[in-house]
Amino acid sequence: MEERIDLRGLTCPEPVLRTKRLLDDQSILKVEALVDDQVCVNNLSRLSRSLKATVTALPKEGYFQVVIERGQSDAQLSRSSEKHGQPAAKPAESSLADSSQKTAEVIFLAKDTFGDGDAEFSKTLLSLFLQSVLETGHQPRAILMANTGVRLMAADSPALKVLQDFKANGCEVLACGLCVEFYGLKDVIAKDQITNMFAIVEYLFAAEKVISP
Amino acid sequence: MTDSASSGQPKLTAHVKAAGCAAKISAGELGEILRELPSLKSPALLTGMDHFEDAAVYRISEDVAIIQTTDFFPPVVDDPYTFGRIAAVNALSDVYAMGGRPVLALNILCFPTCDYPLEIVRAILKGGADAIAESGAVLAGGHSIQAPEPIYGLSVTGLVHPSAILTNGGAKAGDALVLSKSIGTGVGLLGMKGEQLSATAQQSLLKNLTTLNDQILAAGLQYELHAATDITGFGLIGHLHEMAEASGLLASINAAGVPLLPAVRQLAAEGFVPAGAYANRQTYQPFVNYIDAVDDSLMDLLFDPQTAGGLLFSLPAKDATLLTRDLKALGVAAATIGAFRTGKSGQVEVSLYDKA
Repeated sequence: MEERIDLRGLTCPEPVLRTKRLLDDQSILKVEALVDDQVCVNNLSRLSRSLKATVTALPKEGYFQVVIERGQSDAQLSRSSEKHGQPAAKPAESSLADSSQKTAEVIFLAKDTFGDGDAEFSKTLLSLFLQSVLETGHQPRAILMANTGVRLMAADSPALKVLQDFKANGCEVLACGLCVEFYGLKDVIAKDQITNMFAIVEYLFAAEKVISP
Repeated sequence: MTDSASSGQPKLTAHVKAAGCAAKISAGELGEILRELPSLKSPALLTGMDHFEDAAVYRISEDVAIIQTTDFFPPVVDDPYTFGRIAAVNALSDVYAMGGRPVLALNILCFPTCDYPLEIVRAILKGGADAIAESGAVLAGGHSIQAPEPIYGLSVTGLVHPSAILTNGGAKAGDALVLSKSIGTGVGLLGMKGEQLSATAQQSLLKNLTTLNDQILAAGLQYELHAATDITGFGLIGHLHEMAEASGLLASINAAGVPLLPAVRQLAAEGFVPAGAYANRQTYQPFVNYIDAVDDSLMDLLFDPQTAGGLLFSLPAKDATLLTRDLKALGVAAATIGAFRTGKSGQVEVSLYDKA
């Protein structure tokens, strides 16, 4: 069964409340609701998610049309939300939520080499490693550098470019402040990329996986 | 609660668009509005509009400074007495947040006397007067006008010793953050308005909203407090950011340790989220760094505008457990929710450990 409902002009929480009451009736599979603003769209999106229903919001002139559908399989569910996904009508914070839900891997570099062989060769290998991580599309949440690892951020480091690429992709690239000072790199490394042991510990313990080549 | 459906008059909250501190103009908009306003300085003005301080503090002698504040909003609940009490508790809170004690209060009232019987407005004022009496302050009059939407609140004067002023800017690196009262009044009030709360959940919400911060401050003052603020319209994260920025530090919190009102997590997940929470999120998101993935319903609550919220204290970590214990002994929800450390000023880092 389908229902259409005009919720324009109602004050919060009436729009979400009335939609919820409609959807409490399991025989109703689809609701088309008209709402005033983005706040209502966000709230109906949350309601739909809690009911495992799909939601599509289309901006109209001065209002939004929200379509909530349920009763589909999971596969259909993801496909239909992709198909109907209207960037303009997505909940305003969806991109922010996404950015906080990246993979939970952290790369921890406590030296500027990959293994302990010939010094120059080992440095080259580390750059190659980072380059490969980037190219294979892995998106670690953070790359943390300590001890000689902070030298990777020096102006003449062969790994600098790839670290910048990671940062541009939204990965936190952070160097231990004490180490930066010790190795005399304080003036070359941007302030917002300098962190402390406390933060390093929090990143490592919050990580699902720590990769330390 | 007053059942007004049968008497023909509208429910008190019927036409209220945004309730309580959710009715506040957003921090972003406020910044825009205040930008052109001249920021007047006086050596006697100890705290003013910088850093969104809770109230103005003006030194009148070596030993005495006055705290001046005002706060008012449309009905958050249908029961007029309860609304009056909540509005007064909320307005008085700014004085406690600065470390002072309220001494004088004036009513601020807008009311459509044609739409409601006079006993309604009498009950609102009674609720406010009772809270003022409980605070030890004197109610000495006020001002009232006709308006299409009821609004009630207070202007409050408090006293504090100039050396004992608590601001949001005194936190030190290594301090622990102790939060009193639970979070979630914005979401909870929407749920209550939509009749989605169980009797016990509603009771918890109303207790949170009607509890004065006087004893909470007194408990805090037993320790060496470095900074304090009350959690109101900007939500927990907004006020944390203001405190961190005013102190030049980074705040790190464990979201799983933040005391939440019953049922609000579920309500937020179902979309009972006030517009103010989205506005706060938009304003403060740039200052937040998520160490863990925090789901939307919890994030909504961290940004949820609070009405008559509790006090947030920054104090030496060694005292945090003791203060939390003292607060709980008062029957108030309390928890150590995080710490300050050196780092990017104003940044709020959100982790999610299973247990605090």
